[in-house]
Amino acid sequence: MSHTPPAPTGPTPTGPARPPALRPPRSLRATAWWLADSAGAIPAALGLAWAVAAQAGNGPMWPAAALLVLGGAARALAVAQARLAGQGLAARFQSGLRQVLWPALLPSRMARGALVGEDAHLAVDTIDRTEGLVARFLPLRGASAAAPLLIALAVAPASWVSAMIMLATLVPFVLGLVLAGGLAARRARAQHAALTRASGLFVDRIAHLPLIVASGAEERVGRQLAGATQDVAHRTMAVLAVAFASNAILEFFAALCVALVAVYCGFALLGLLPFPAPEHLTLARAFYTLALAPEFYLGMRRLAAAYHDKQTGEAALEALDTAMTALPDAPPTVPAPTRLRGQDVVIAYPDGTRIGPLAWDWPGPGLHAVTGATGSGKSSLLLALVGQAPLAQGQILGASGALQPSAFNAAVGWAGQAVALPPGSLRRNLALGGAPTASDAAMHTLLESLGLGTMLARREGLDTTLDHRGSGLSGGERRRVGLARAILSGRPILLLDEPTADLDSASATAVRAVLATLARDRLVIVATHDADLVALAQTRCAVDAVEGGLAA
Amino acid sequence: MIDPLAAPLARQRGPLRAAMACAVLAALAAVGLLGVAGWFLAGAALAGLGGPLAVTAFNYLLPSAGIRAAAITRTASRYGERLLGHRAALFALADVRASLFARIAQAALAGNAPLRWGALAARFGRDVDLLEDAAIRRVARLGAITAGLAALALTLPLGWAAVLALAVGLGAMRLAGRALATQRLPALQQDLAQAHAALAADYAEMAGPAVDIAVYGLAPAMTAALAERAAAQAAAQAALARAEAAITAVQALLAALTLAAMALLAQGPAPLLALALLAAMAALEPWAGLAAHDSRAPDVRLAAERIAQAGETQAQPAAPVALLAGVPTLTIAGTTFAPGARVRLDGPSGAGKTRLLETLAGLRGDAPRALAVGGHDPRVLGLAGLRAHLALMPQAAPLIAGTVADNLALARPGIDRAAMARALHLACADDVVATLPDGLDQWLGSDGARLSGGQRRRIALARALLSGRPWLLLDEPSEGLDLLTEARLCRRLGAWLDETGTGLVLVSHRPAMAALADRVVPVL
Repeated sequence: MSHTPPAPTGPTPTGPARPPALRPPRSLRATAWWLADSAGAIPAALGLAWAVAAQAGNGPMWPAAALLVLGGAARALAVAQARLAGQGLAARFQSGLRQVLWPALLPSRMARGALVGEDAHLAVDTIDRTEGLVARFLPLRGASAAAPLLIALAVAPASWVSAMIMLATLVPFVLGLVLAGGLAARRARAQHAALTRASGLFVDRIAHLPLIVASGAEERVGRQLAGATQDVAHRTMAVLAVAFASNAILEFFAALCVALVAVYCGFALLGLLPFPAPEHLTLARAFYTLALAPEFYLGMRRLAAAYHDKQTGEAALEALDTAMTALPDAPPTVPAPTRLRGQDVVIAYPDGTRIGPLAWDWPGPGLHAVTGATGSGKSSLLLALVGQAPLAQGQILGASGALQPSAFNAAVGWAGQAVALPPGSLRRNLALGGAPTASDAAMHTLLESLGLGTMLARREGLDTTLDHRGSGLSGGERRRVGLARAILSGRPILLLDEPTADLDSASATAVRAVLATLARDRLVIVATHDADLVALAQTRCAVDAVEGGLAA
Repeated sequence: MIDPLAAPLARQRGPLRAAMACAVLAALAAVGLLGVAGWFLAGAALAGLGGPLAVTAFNYLLPSAGIRAAAITRTASRYGERLLGHRAALFALADVRASLFARIAQAALAGNAPLRWGALAARFGRDVDLLEDAAIRRVARLGAITAGLAALALTLPLGWAAVLALAVGLGAMRLAGRALATQRLPALQQDLAQAHAALAADYAEMAGPAVDIAVYGLAPAMTAALAERAAAQAAAQAALARAEAAITAVQALLAALTLAAMALLAQGPAPLLALALLAAMAALEPWAGLAAHDSRAPDVRLAAERIAQAGETQAQPAAPVALLAGVPTLTIAGTTFAPGARVRLDGPSGAGKTRLLETLAGLRGDAPRALAVGGHDPRVLGLAGLRAHLALMPQAAPLIAGTVADNLALARPGIDRAAMARALHLACADDVVATLPDGLDQWLGSDGARLSGGQRRRIALARALLSGRPWLLLDEPSEGLDLLTEARLCRRLGAWLDETGTGLVLVSHRPAMAALADRVVPVL
């Protein structure tokens, strides 16, 4: 269930220091507009006072109506502007988050072992969920501290005693809130684990409906679910009963503030105060004071209503912070190694799959093969070299000692199963590897030899516009564009995952020839099934996956 | 349309009525507090001016006691309104969840595509949450309406013109709120949803090839390419915020105009004007809040429709088929296998082996080959006719959020812990469970998040073995296992098949596992 108890406005523990991009900004503009809304209550209260005084003394009524409309218009404008200012700030904050998070998340997804869906959720939905915190809660919090003072100041010239009464109610109010808030937080914490566990069951059981129905267990599961949903309702009510108590404290003092001011002013007007009158009140002054009394606590009531925004936003920032701290550190870049050796290398994924121990020695330019059955972990070895698979043991060595995986990424031309195509022309995509800009002719020749000639003819050649959605390229065509990019990059080490898969035999032969030529002056590593390609290789590293983990 | 909340809320009649009574009382107290306070002040001022005699004649005890009583009543009844309103809504929606599950389960059983329902889980979760929110808001709505009516009643002594001014003002606020909410918001909400979906889809597309991005340093280019979508989403969000701000501003402006009109048109003594103006001021605030209900109404209506219809359209009566008597034969791609046969489906990846198994088990109906169970097309028998005879262990090895025992108990009613232990041993999952801190009672997060793929697969296999169906359908049961464990699993499974005479339909590319089958059906 999504329902979160509206917790109190009491003091909340401040979280640990976050990186600057994750610190939600304070919107002075939105706060100022919320205060302008409170200020708009002043002409409105003057209007009400004028109206009653005019009715009592037969004065003209139109100034009262004018003041009421003026105050109302000012408040309408202020509330609208406060929302828009908050929303604008939230949009800028979110844009800043994206600028920081996306460049960090995009290249590190595999290394962190995150699924595409998880990362998309984090990068899009989680950032969106900070809106209420920045756009509403924080500006309201700023205003809620200043608004009571503003109202008390506005009341003081008419009745300083009433202003003091209003301020005096703040003291027990804050004390009550701290007590109730602490109790509510303890109650919420005590139920938190059981509630999160049980509240997800409904969605989980529907998601697993095929399994449940195929097992013939729908009635039993249905009965359990009915019990679990009742249990969630009971537990939620236990939390709410306390959480609403802090709201009741707020309500009580808001009502008490009005009642005390009304009774004091009434008895002062009657001259029946049980002590000497500290000030002289008139009907207009008293009425103006009374009309402002409900405004004293309005800011805090609005803040309490926005508490859910705070919880959602804080949780989102927490999730983003966790993701940012989990980012792998990039090792210092090293020059291209001329030799790559592996000793006792084990790759272990968090799900328990282990690959290795593996050993290899690729002494310099040449063609080397990594072999093994589908799913055995051939790709994982290539991934480990560029820091995208977790290395649990062993060392990768260059000509002069240990190498940090990913430290030599700038020397690697990569062509894998999935190909990233940033929006742009085919020419630009092919040249993304950097290095010497290849001529159009060289690009054409290579693409022809990779069997992409018909694609070039069908589209607008090298000017064909590509984007991340594939732009009409088949999966195989995309992968060959990736292969061409790796080759054209001119980088001294090529890591190629299944370079001859999905090619017809003529193209495969052409690719093998291209790779054999490249291997004269570059270190070409291929993970492959292709026996003809393996036959051309100088060394062969065989890989087989072993599941370990808890069961090992 | 049937309101899916009607029956469950009727069962919560007690708390719901109490909550509504509290809401009415809270509204009356809030309007009364300000109204009486205003009347008391104006009356006191006039009496004060009238001299000592007028002061003695003025009954100040009653109103000042009334003010204090209203303050306490407002607090207490608002607490009751919130607590009881939430109570009614929470328990009513607990019922909705349970009955919705039962209905969808029936639909999944009767229809041809149970897999479809599973994919809708997140949407049903959101829809029910929306209804819960709407049920809570119903009570608050009653309070706002009561406040408006109370203010109207308190305006009566000021003459018909003032009453008319307030009534027109209240009406105008509702009309404006509704018109803006129904005409402008749905399109803007939809724009935002589309912009959001487009951004999420693009991000997912771009995030796929992470290695290319890392090796070629493409992250800045990708971020820049996504900026346009992000800006479109921000623009949609800003447009929605503008519309919502406009709704609020219009409500505030109309409320002020209403008060001004009342002041201009009122006829009567000052205390009664004070009473009516402050009562109206207290009522107009929750009245303006009704506009927030309007902006949610379209979403709530759609959610209610989806929930009311869930399961109804799918429940076509299945063609009457003679129930399969005894243990049925299986016919796969033209070859018929007697009970107890051990068959392997062989073919390249992507040939549709998984789809064939799922069609045979009644989970879908789109395998293109000739299939029969006991001589009948499985698509005609349906899941209801098939499930007593076949147990499928899907490749994804789904586990429900619950304990290991909860997962095993799905297989059939009345499984004791000894039977569970035997099945776990057969599936080579006993050592997996032994390493879990709570053993069989270990809570597994959603989809067995604590376990590796191979471990989940073995627990799912144990569940399939426990089901006691005469045909076992296994989809890649040994994927992710090391060779030793796989060999052990094959030995135990082979012995169990011999002992029980259970038939096997297997999809596996691993040689050791494949050796369990003695017949091969090519799937191309």
